[in-house]
Amino acid sequence: MVAQVIAIELFLIMFGIIISEKIERQWASLGCGLLMLIIVFGICMHSPQAIWNIINVKEFATKAFWIAHGEGGEASAGVNWATISFIFGMMIMVEGMGRAGFFRWLCLRIAKSVKYKTLPIFITFMIMSFALAMFIDSITVILFLAAVTVELAGVLGFSPVSMILAEIFCANLGGSATMCGDPPNIIIGTSLGYSFSDFVKNTGVMAVVALVFTMLYYFLYFNRQLKKKGKTEIAASYPEPSSAISSKKDFMISCLIFACTVALLVTHSMTGLTVATIGLFVAALTLLASPRHAWELLRKVDYKTLLFFIGLFIVVGGLERTGVLEAMAGVISGICGNNAYVMVAVILWLSAIASAFVDNIPFAATMIPVIKTLAETTGMDLNVLAWTLACGTDIGGSATPIGASANVVGVSIASQNGHLIGWGRYCKVTVPITIVTIFICMICIYLRYL
Amino acid sequence: MEKQLIVSIGREFGSGGHEVAELIAKKLGISLIDDRLLYDLANENNIPYEDAKKYDERPKNPFLSRTVAGFSSAVEENLAKMQFKYLKKLAEKGESFVVVGRCSEHVLKDYPCMVSAFVLGNVETKCERVMKKYQLSESEARKLMKKKDYTRKNYHNYYCEGKWGDSRNYDMCVNSSNIGVEGTVEVILKFIERKK
Repeated sequence: MVAQVIAIELFLIMFGIIISEKIERQWASLGCGLLMLIIVFGICMHSPQAIWNIINVKEFATKAFWIAHGEGGEASAGVNWATISFIFGMMIMVEGMGRAGFFRWLCLRIAKSVKYKTLPIFITFMIMSFALAMFIDSITVILFLAAVTVELAGVLGFSPVSMILAEIFCANLGGSATMCGDPPNIIIGTSLGYSFSDFVKNTGVMAVVALVFTMLYYFLYFNRQLKKKGKTEIAASYPEPSSAISSKKDFMISCLIFACTVALLVTHSMTGLTVATIGLFVAALTLLASPRHAWELLRKVDYKTLLFFIGLFIVVGGLERTGVLEAMAGVISGICGNNAYVMVAVILWLSAIASAFVDNIPFAATMIPVIKTLAETTGMDLNVLAWTLACGTDIGGSATPIGASANVVGVSIASQNGHLIGWGRYCKVTVPITIVTIFICMICIYLRYL
Repeated sequence: MEKQLIVSIGREFGSGGHEVAELIAKKLGISLIDDRLLYDLANENNIPYEDAKKYDERPKNPFLSRTVAGFSSAVEENLAKMQFKYLKKLAEKGESFVVVGRCSEHVLKDYPCMVSAFVLGNVETKCERVMKKYQLSESEARKLMKKKDYTRKNYHNYYCEGKWGDSRNYDMCVNSSNIGVEGTVEVILKFIERKK
């Protein structure tokens, strides 16, 4: 009981510090993780073995870390090194691609291919945002897309706000479609042993259906804004795609590595390679392909996020081992009364609303053991709960400016360029479509799985 | 060519700090940067001035904002950073000016030509000035002073290493209640003269 109370307190303290931003989030999670190890596992539970299990470094020595055997297995509680390794690898690859000018080139190339016409740019950028976010983290996607959107808006004379909001939404939606699109999906996938194609066949289908409605919604909204403004200007000169490429050789290499990564991810259930292996392989490939810049690429990795993940997994592991999450699952099961429809609705809307206000990564990490327990105790299909959780956390975050990392980056880039986006302006556009999208997901889940 | 001079004036609400800055700018024949900065910035970026004013010199709400990889969702923070950039651009161009608030003593600390002052005052004197200027009752004036100073302090302390009104962060702190607005202007001008 004491261990449970302390575990809950440490979790709440960590969340409080993360929200207040008084201390950087990696120190908050690592500090609370360390206290969890010492107080909960060391003092309360007298279990050095539990500490060792939570740190979980032995995972690297297991064959399952590198090669998946048959049907996906479930990762043990503790630090999920597969998630961390994959994110590390993708960070290196994305850094290499950004340095070569790939993203800016792609944005400008697409703008040029639609002859710099505002509405076609709007539509193609939404699709591009969705497609890129399926494989690359949404922060990077929005970082480049929003910057180019602001630049084109300046040249073509339209307000970039609606377009940036649409790109953010589509990036979050794209992230929900695959295993590697959004961190909650990576955690869900590696913890529950799902493959890339499992996600595509399940959350991917829902994301595509939702994308159709999203594009229609934003198209109508943006078109109305454009009509209000009148005819757009015709600029004398447009930014050239080739100006984005710093080195042709690096550009070609980064394109090849990206293609290779996509191919490895799409086929990983057939090849047996785990996402951790793919991530580390891609990182090594990127570093070997540009040895002159290897040190620079390694230095630019966002180690703060990786450290945050380590601390977070320890804290959540503490909640799991002390039975707190089991109790939480009991509460949810009590509310739902073993009714699958109600359970899906509760998990979907709870995840969506929570993710709109708090970081969806700790939320998803906390909910995974909860849905596992729910599946064990109520007989509900774990897969259904996993897809429900993924959709809720990934899409719910779109509703507010702080719900997902892509939102923060997009809003910040727009504001820094003179297009202030406060809560009112943001939510007025995104809340209705977020609610519609979550409803679409709920209907899809009901019709397909229940 | 006249040597560059930047005067940064921090102030408590009701201390007459803004008036002090206006008089210094007038006497030295250099421009005053107060709300004008926001106005210029709003014009330059096609932001409606009233929209920008809502977020000016206000601290961000930690529960309604998030920072990711150095990017903040808080409009207050983005606007503040735009203003800091604008101030640095002016300083870099070699312009002389008097700037009111906006963490200028911290933002422009690397410019040796900067003189920074913080104008404070006794509660009673400040209250009288606020009552007169805004046509308020005493309790309303005290409430407004408390609110404004709280906002300014939080705004300042979020972006600066030193604390708002801490004498160690300024070349001088002057109590305008003791020597009046004119007297405060005189003291600051004398300091500037000696520093030259």
